[in-house]
Formats: sequence, C-alpha cells, structure tokens
Amino acid sequence: MARTAIGCEPLVGSLTPSKKREYRVTNKLQEGKRPLYAVVFNFIDSRYFNVFATVGGNRVTVYQCLEGGVIAALQSYVDEDKEESFYTVSWACNVDGIPFLVAGGINGIIRVIDVSNEKLHKSFVGHGDSINEIRTQPLKPSLVVSASKDESVRLWNVQTGICILIFAGAGGHRNEVLSVDFHPSDIYRIASCGMDNTVKIWSMKEFWTYVEKSFTWTDLPSKFPTKYVQFPVFIASVHSNYVDCNRWLGDFILSKSVDNEIVLWEPKMKEQSPGEGTADILQKYPVPECDIWFIKFSCDFHYNAAAIGNREGKIFVWELQSSPPVLIARLICFSLHVKYNPQSVY
Amino acid sequence: MVSRASDSSSKSRKSYSEQSNDGLGNLTYKLNQLKKQVQAERVVSVKDKIEKNRKKIENDISQLLSTTSRKSVIFAMDNGFGNMPLCKYSGFPQGLGDRDYVNSHEVVLSTSSKLSHVQKIPPYTTWIFLDKNQRMAEDQSVVGRRRIYYDQHGSEALVCSDSEEDIIEPEEEKHEFSDGEDRILWTVFEEHGLGEEVINAVSQFIGIATSEVQDRYSTLKEKYDGKNLKEFEDAGHERGIALEKSLSAALDSFDNLFCRRCLLFDCRLHGCSQTLINPSEKQPYWSEYEDDRKPCSNHCYLQSRAVQDTVEGSAGNISSIITNTEGTLLHCNAEVPGAHSDIMAGERCNSKRVLPVTSEAVDSSEVAIGNENTDTSMQSLGKRKALELNDSVKVFDEIEESLNKKQKKLLPLDVLTASSDGIPRPDTKSGHHVGAINDNELQMTSKNTIKKSVSAKVVSHNNIEHNIMDGAKDVNKEPEMKQSFSKGELPEGVLCSSEWKPIEKELYLKGVEIFGRNSCLIARNLLSGLKTCMEVSTYMRDSSSSMPHKSVAPSSFLEETVKVDTDYAEQEMPARPRLLRRRGRARKLKYSWKSAGHPSIWKRIADGKNQSCKQYTPCGCQSMCGKQCPCLHNGTCCEKYCGCSKSCKNRFRGCHCAKSQCRSRQCPCFAAGRECDPDVCRNCWVSCGDGSLGEPPKRGDGQCGNMRLLLRQQQRILLAKSDVAGWGAFLKNSVSKNDYLGEYTGELISHREADKRGKIYDRANSSFLFDLNDQYVLDAYRKGDKLKFANHSSNPNCFAKVMLVAGDHRVGIFAKEHIEASEELFYDYRYGPDQAPAWARKPEGSKREDSSVSQGRAKKHQSH
Repeated sequence: MARTAIGCEPLVGSLTPSKKREYRVTNKLQEGKRPLYAVVFNFIDSRYFNVFATVGGNRVTVYQCLEGGVIAALQSYVDEDKEESFYTVSWACNVDGIPFLVAGGINGIIRVIDVSNEKLHKSFVGHGDSINEIRTQPLKPSLVVSASKDESVRLWNVQTGICILIFAGAGGHRNEVLSVDFHPSDIYRIASCGMDNTVKIWSMKEFWTYVEKSFTWTDLPSKFPTKYVQFPVFIASVHSNYVDCNRWLGDFILSKSVDNEIVLWEPKMKEQSPGEGTADILQKYPVPECDIWFIKFSCDFHYNAAAIGNREGKIFVWELQSSPPVLIARLICFSLHVKYNPQSVY
Repeated sequence: MVSRASDSSSKSRKSYSEQSNDGLGNLTYKLNQLKKQVQAERVVSVKDKIEKNRKKIENDISQLLSTTSRKSVIFAMDNGFGNMPLCKYSGFPQGLGDRDYVNSHEVVLSTSSKLSHVQKIPPYTTWIFLDKNQRMAEDQSVVGRRRIYYDQHGSEALVCSDSEEDIIEPEEEKHEFSDGEDRILWTVFEEHGLGEEVINAVSQFIGIATSEVQDRYSTLKEKYDGKNLKEFEDAGHERGIALEKSLSAALDSFDNLFCRRCLLFDCRLHGCSQTLINPSEKQPYWSEYEDDRKPCSNHCYLQSRAVQDTVEGSAGNISSIITNTEGTLLHCNAEVPGAHSDIMAGERCNSKRVLPVTSEAVDSSEVAIGNENTDTSMQSLGKRKALELNDSVKVFDEIEESLNKKQKKLLPLDVLTASSDGIPRPDTKSGHHVGAINDNELQMTSKNTIKKSVSAKVVSHNNIEHNIMDGAKDVNKEPEMKQSFSKGELPEGVLCSSEWKPIEKELYLKGVEIFGRNSCLIARNLLSGLKTCMEVSTYMRDSSSSMPHKSVAPSSFLEETVKVDTDYAEQEMPARPRLLRRRGRARKLKYSWKSAGHPSIWKRIADGKNQSCKQYTPCGCQSMCGKQCPCLHNGTCCEKYCGCSKSCKNRFRGCHCAKSQCRSRQCPCFAAGRECDPDVCRNCWVSCGDGSLGEPPKRGDGQCGNMRLLLRQQQRILLAKSDVAGWGAFLKNSVSKNDYLGEYTGELISHREADKRGKIYDRANSSFLFDLNDQYVLDAYRKGDKLKFANHSSNPNCFAKVMLVAGDHRVGIFAKEHIEASEELFYDYRYGPDQAPAWARKPEGSKREDSSVSQGRAKKHQSH
C-alpha cells in the first residue's frame, strides 16, 4: 500500500474488546453437510424483523426467532438442479408488501420465491455466470441488484421480472463482481466491488425513467429496453487485491480486501470529471487472520455494528460509528462454516 | 500504518534528542510539533465527519423504519407465513446457561417446496455491442498490472506478473502533497527560511526528494501570493469570450478531437490527437454565379443599392457601393479558377450587375465636379437609379462615352490588356499600366478617384483581366477614400470594419480558403454573428489592397486572386504556375489497370500469400512521396487520407472495373484484399436508390459488389445455444456462396497486450482474439458483435477475411458455400499448428470435452 501522507492518516481501532455488549450463542443449527453461504434477516418489513433465511447448496431455508431463544424453521425450498449452489440471498417484496426471497448462485439464475404463498414467483435468466451477491433497495424493495462473475451488475424489478439496467461495459468491472450495495438514502446510487481490485460507484439518475417504466411494463420482460450503464461516477483503488465486500455507511463506504481489515473511506468526487476522484481513508477496523477472500461482513439495521468472521472461526463485532472504532466483542465460534454473520436487531 | 506512524515519531524524537544541541534541533522539534498538530487535527476532522455521517445515518434509518413499518400498518392482516412452522428448535433462553456450551440441532425438514428446473444458458462475460472496431482505452491495459487468479479450489496463483520484463517499474510517482504537508512546509519555510539544511530536514521528514519540496514551496508561494491576482484573472477570463484566442487555439479541440477519417468527434477507432494531415491538393471552391446569388441578409453587399436608397445623401455610401461593386468583381475573379470556361459568361453577368452602380457613381461624380454639394448629387442619383436599372446597357454606353471623354488617360489601358486568357504580361506594359493609373490618381481629388474607379470598372466590361487589374489599383486608393468619407454618416455595417479581431481575421482567411472570395458564404458560415457580409467584403477589399504589388510580377496574371493563390502557392508548390498544376489534377482520371497498386503489393498477392496486413497510417508528405515517405517505408500504399497528391506513385489507384464487378481477383481492389472506395475507384459508386431520398442502397443492381463492409450490407445474425458447444451464431436468411455475413468487431489491442490477455483468456479457456495486422489484434471479449460466437470448425461453412476498408483493416465473415436459413455458422479459426488448443487440433467429428471450449478464436501467439 502506498504511504499515507501526513494529515491523511486513518484512525485505527484497537483490538481490545470493549465488552460493551455480551453475545452468547443461543442456538446451533446445522443443515446437512453442505456449507451455508449466506444468512440474512429481513430488514425490509418490520413484521418480519425476526425472520431470517439461509442458503447453502441447492437449498433455501426460512427461520423465525421466537420467544425464549426458540428458532422455528418455517419453510424450505430445494432447487431441482442438484448442481445449483446458492451463494447469496436477499429479502425483497412486491409493491403490495408480499415478502419475496431472492437467491442466486453458481448457475447464474436468480430465483424469486414468494414466501407468503410458498412458491417460485419468477426465475431470472440472463447473467452469463454465477451470482456472487444480491441486495435489495431498502426504499423500493421491489428493486434488487445482482453482482455476477460475468463482470456485470444488474438491476432487476422482482415484481415484473424485468432486467432494467446492466452496469457493465467500457467503464465496468474487469473481473468478477463480488459485492454490491445500495446507498441507504440516495436511491440512484450503488457501489460495487470485485476481483479487479476496484470499488465503483454508479449512478442511475439518468436512467431512472427506465426504472419507473419497469413497474408499469406489461409486455414480455424480454422486450423491455434494458440499458447499459457503462460509466461509473467514481472508481476507487483503495485496495490492492480482490475487494470482496462493500457496504455504504451513510455517504462513506466500508470495504474489505484480504488485508486483515475493514476500511472506511470517503469518496471525494470531482464535479467536472466524472469517474475521477480520490478516496480519503478515514478509519480502519482490524480483523486478524482475515487474509483469505470471500469473507464478507454484515451490518445491523441501524448501522451501529458490523460483524465479520475470520479464517479461524472467530467473529469480530465492531462499533462502526465511533471514532476511533471500538471493538464490541470477539467471539469464538465452533463452526468454520460461519462466514457471514449479520447482527440482528436484537 | 499504526506501527509506521509510531516508528517515525519515535525516530524523530530520537533525532531530536541527538540534534538538540545544534541549530537544527529546534527545526526538528518544530517539525514534530507541526506533525503532531496536523495529526491531531486530522483526528478531530475524522471524528467530525463520522459524527456528521452518524446524524445522516440516523435520519436515513428513521426513514427506512417508516418505510418498513408503514407496510405493516396497511397490511395488518398477516399474509406472510400463515402456515405452521415445519419444526422448532429451542436453545437456551437468554441469560441462562453455559456460555461455551450450546446444543447443536440438525435441521430436519419434513417437507420442502421444489424450485422447478430452469434451462441454464451457456456462460458468457457481459459484452457490449460494437458496430465498429475501437481502439483500446489506455486504462484497459492489463500489461504491467498485477492480477491474481485463483483456481477452482481457492489456491492462489499469480499469472500476470510472471515475467520480469512485464513489471514496468512505476515511474517515480510525483508525490501528492496533502494539506497537512503543505502546512508543515509552508510554516517551516516561512519561519526558518529556505536554507539547505531546512530543505533537507523537511524533505527527510516528509520522505520525498528535496527538489519536490522546493517545487511545492514555490507553487504554494505562488498560490498564496498570487491568490488575489489569480482570482482577478479568472474573473476576467470568464468575461472575455473566446474571441481573444487565436484561431489555432480555438481550433485546438477540433484538431485534436475530430477524426478526419471518420468525420466525427472522439473517434474511438483512430483516437484523439492524430497527426494532422493537410492534403496537398485543395478542392476547387464551391462556386456560385453572381447572377444566381440572392442577397444573403440585410447586410449583404448585394443589398447595398437598397441601402443606398434609404440612407440619404451620404457620400460614404458611394464608397461602400464602390467597395461592393469591386467586391462583386473580386468574387467573379475568385470564381475564375473554379470555372474557367465559364468566365466570359460570368463576366458578362458581373458587368451587367456592376453597370447600374457604376453609372450611378459616375453620375454622382459628374455632378460632384460641377456641384460640391454631395447631398443633392446623391439624391438625384437615387432618383435616377430606377431609370438606369431599366436600361442598363444603354446607360452603360453613355457612361462609357462620358468616361472616355473624361478619362482619356485610361484609354490606353484598353490597348494594353489584350491578353484576355491571362498570359503573363511583359513587365514594361504592366509597368506602364501602373504608371498610368498612378498619374491619374495623382491628379484626382478623392471624388475623382471614385470616378476613376468607376471608369476602370467600365473598362472592365471590355476586358475582364484588365478591369480586375484596375480594380485592384483602385483598392489601393480605397482607404484614402474611406478616410475622406468617414467623417460623413457611414452606414452601420461599414463602421466596424476596423475592429477585426485576430480570430476573425483568421476565420476570414479560412473562409477564403474554403469558399473563395465569396463574402456571403464567408460571413454566413464562418463569421455569423460576428461580421456582416458587407463588412466581410469591405475587409476583403482592404486586405487585398494591403497586399504588396505582387501583381506586377510576370508570373501572376490575376491580381485579385493573388492573395488567395499566393497563400496556397506558398504552402505547397511555390515554383509551379497554376496552369501546370491544373494539368496535373486532370490526370486523375487516367487510370490504368497496371498502375493500380504499388508493385510490391502486387507481388505479395501474386505469391498467393495472405495479405501482409500492415497497419496504414496516413503520411503527411506534400506533393510526391519520396523515399522518406512513411507509407513507402512501412510497405503500405498511400491512401486518400495521405497528404500527398493524387498522382503520388505510391497511391493505390483503385479499380476501374465495369459495373457490378469487383467480385473476383480480376478487380485490383479485390485482389489486394481491399474494398472498393467510391472516392478512389472509377466506376464504384453508391446509389441513392431510385432517387427518392432515404432509400437504402439496393444490393446488386449495378452497384459495386466489393463495398459490403463499408456499406454494412450484412446478414441478420441470430445468437442461440450452439449445437456444438456454448453459444453459436446462426443465420436468419439463406445466403449464397461468397455472400458477406457480417463483421467481426472488437477492441484493437497491441500484440503485447494480446499476449497478456491471451494468457488470461486461455486460463478461462475462452478467447476472442483475432489477428488483424502487424500492429493490432482484435479482442471481442468485452466488446464485439454476435459473430464472435460463431464456433470453430475444420470443415466450416464460412470464412473470415481481413479487408482494408478506407484505410482500416476490418474482418469480414463470408459464406464459403450456400447456407440455408437458421443454419449455424462455423469458420476455421486458423490457429497456427503449434498454437492450436487441444480441442481445435482434433480431427473433425471428435467430441468436444468442454462446453466453453469452442469459444476460442484465431489468435496470434500462444505464449506458454
């Protein structure tokens, strides 16, 4: 990494746990032998804040946290294709608020499951390769973005099954896209990162009419005029290796590579020249033994804390918004499968 | 980062204690103080930012909460998970139990819903459709970039920095100074001066070269000292529009960004900042007869008569009329080179036009001689005008008579000007001629000058060449006249002729270059909003008068055209008289079968080898290409984009095949692996359909059959799952043998880049590289068209051919045989024997072993 200039040093968190909060393992569930790649709580509908879903292998499972530490398995879905291996899952809903689960994996097919009717709503075929992450727009939960190995990020309308935008092309990623995230309040903005070591911020402001059009589209989804967004508004080279996870923290971005740390940085764009700008690294959250890729971190609903696992099965919980960062807890987990651990609202 | 920060601080602390005794100690201490201060401020600023962001997040969260909870209000009825849970697992309730011990449950699900099978599509990388090749953008290069690849099992493998020469040592990067460093620098230098020790200490402290520290200090000094000044300048700059710039500065973006080959800005194929090639042969002016010309605006010089009617009795008007009539003549002359045979007709028209005006002027001058009151003379002039217009010829005769009486000295000029075809006159005669005029001029008052000029014009009716001569002489006198009249009321238009900004002058010169001396066109196209037609014509006359008396030189025959002509002559062929040049141009139609193409090119084709495919770069040679011509050197023909003349020996001369031929090696273009070019070939033209505009050119009917890439006469290609492997390209309609199917487009990358990418692609077992020529390889990986998905076969139904189309190599895919509709397309990737991947080497019929395997493409090297 380049030397940091004086006056631009990031604040680095101390690895001494503050013990502000205590975490305990209350339950341990195991789904067969196949590893679980993702677990995600429902953040988009307050009725179901206690519901979470897991994916692993060709299976998607829905659980509910009940009183007294009881966890109930509500539903389970199995892809008929045994070769399918789901990598990612996200909650979404249609405009009527009916909850959907959106899952994707090695086959590159996005499965939209209507969980209230317990059936497959739609399948999106289009990605040219496996899907590494799916995220839902929190303000418009019918919109999801998917990051794929085919070097593109795509915006979908789960209600109508339309691929609205493809973020790829001349200024796009040059290798697998590993992670993508919607800005929490700027509805036009997404950030994506991947194996080309960059984080790219995209704006769909100029393409918003297509997003609106997708809600009223009645013709075949394949006839929708899908647009390519070829140029991001910002490209950051914060890392020198694969960037496997990024999340917005307000207007800042949390991202991580294989450098044993999560980095919080501020994108400083130049008004006149889109695509250019500098990244001001503000804070660093060290995570020891976290030098392999495809370890993601996850934030709670209020963005107070982020949790991340490491190679040794330890989980680090960081207080995100304190300066300098405070480690809330270091947890020892028995299972090495836990790579992805969101903080629930509890 | 932490450790380094503490390291450096401890180090500096140590050095402080060591040096505390000498003078530098204080400095080091100061530096550390400053650093600490800057860092402390940084901590505060980061905290501020985080705090501000926290407030924003709180706001966002409350918004999110309302979105999520509103839903539950509207849909209070639980339409969610109505069913009973499949099973329940109870762990330890919170607050109880052993921290380190938890029951492990195996989730056993009795029922699960099936997600029905969906047909998978073959894998591909997202790609952008290109209808035209593009050169790779700099930032897309993988050369010298470290890329890490992991194989399926997650173990790390480094591919892209394997060979040493590949790792380009990053040039000593210029240090970007942070605000904090700037502050340290500034404070220290302000307090301790710019002593060498101080500089060394600072550079060591920040960790960069002393020179950079000094540079930065001077820029800072400029910034702080010149702050106010700069702001002032900026403000001024915004106000003063581009008119202050020179033409070349204003044209900078045009010269740099406009592609003269593709006629568009920001050409992605040929790139920005191409070397400007100025053709040595100018196109003839776009000529238009004076007669056909309508006044271009209210300020057109042709409108001056109307103007005269409205403006009462201004002597200045006369001058402007004369100016303009002369302008008219000048235009006529300017047209002469363009349409030589029509000169006489044109002249006649002109003279007729000139007539009324001249007669007016003459009248006015007649009156003026008798009566010093110009006002009355002008009015009478106005009244008379109508009459004169009605019978201009008659009036002309009258005027001629009167003039002959008055201007006796001019009469000999008629005699002198026998040479109507523009053969250079002997010195003596022209000298005499000038002398005569000068005599005249000396004797005349300013009003007589008008008369004289008028007379000169009348004479011009008899002999245009001479007339022009006189006109020019007149022009010399014009400034005087203007001065004498400038005190009177000048019409608005004429007023600002003196305020020509440099850029306007340059624009004017460009205009003359493009349109000849046609003030209407110049004013409309180049000086619109800046100058009126009348101003332009006035300026035109002024500027030609300011020319030195080149006309007297025997080599030139038209003084009016001197300015324009000499401009050109100086640029290109200083020693060549016009006539010779024109003869040279006429030769362009003399095509000969054998002369087509450069001998060496012929040979290469005759050898039956593949096209040599050398990248063509236009040469900037003027007139003929000599041995130093880059095209010749490179082994390419000169093309129409070269600077050299059309008679250049190295030019490819195109074909002169009969219509609808050019489909066999009989055609020199076809044989040379080139498409015909309507600009170059004799009979290869593009029709506009049946005359109704907008109709696409029909195939076949009399048109050249060798312009199919140029005209994009391609077939509809369909993309679908291949019958063989992965994706495949299919044909919508049936075609016959040798039909053009479409173009294989992609990114143009260098061979070096291709080697690099090839390694990456080989790893993914999917390559879309196509060798184009000695400089470039086409890569259709991320940009291309559907034909990139056509699979390889050793017994194919298509073939790929590199064609030179308007100077660019392009890959066309052609039918090797008759192909039925909806058949899949294959062609031989033509891998070199040692380069072919295993699957391509196998004899036809053996099964593929990998689904993605077939997407490879003819590639140049496979450097293993």
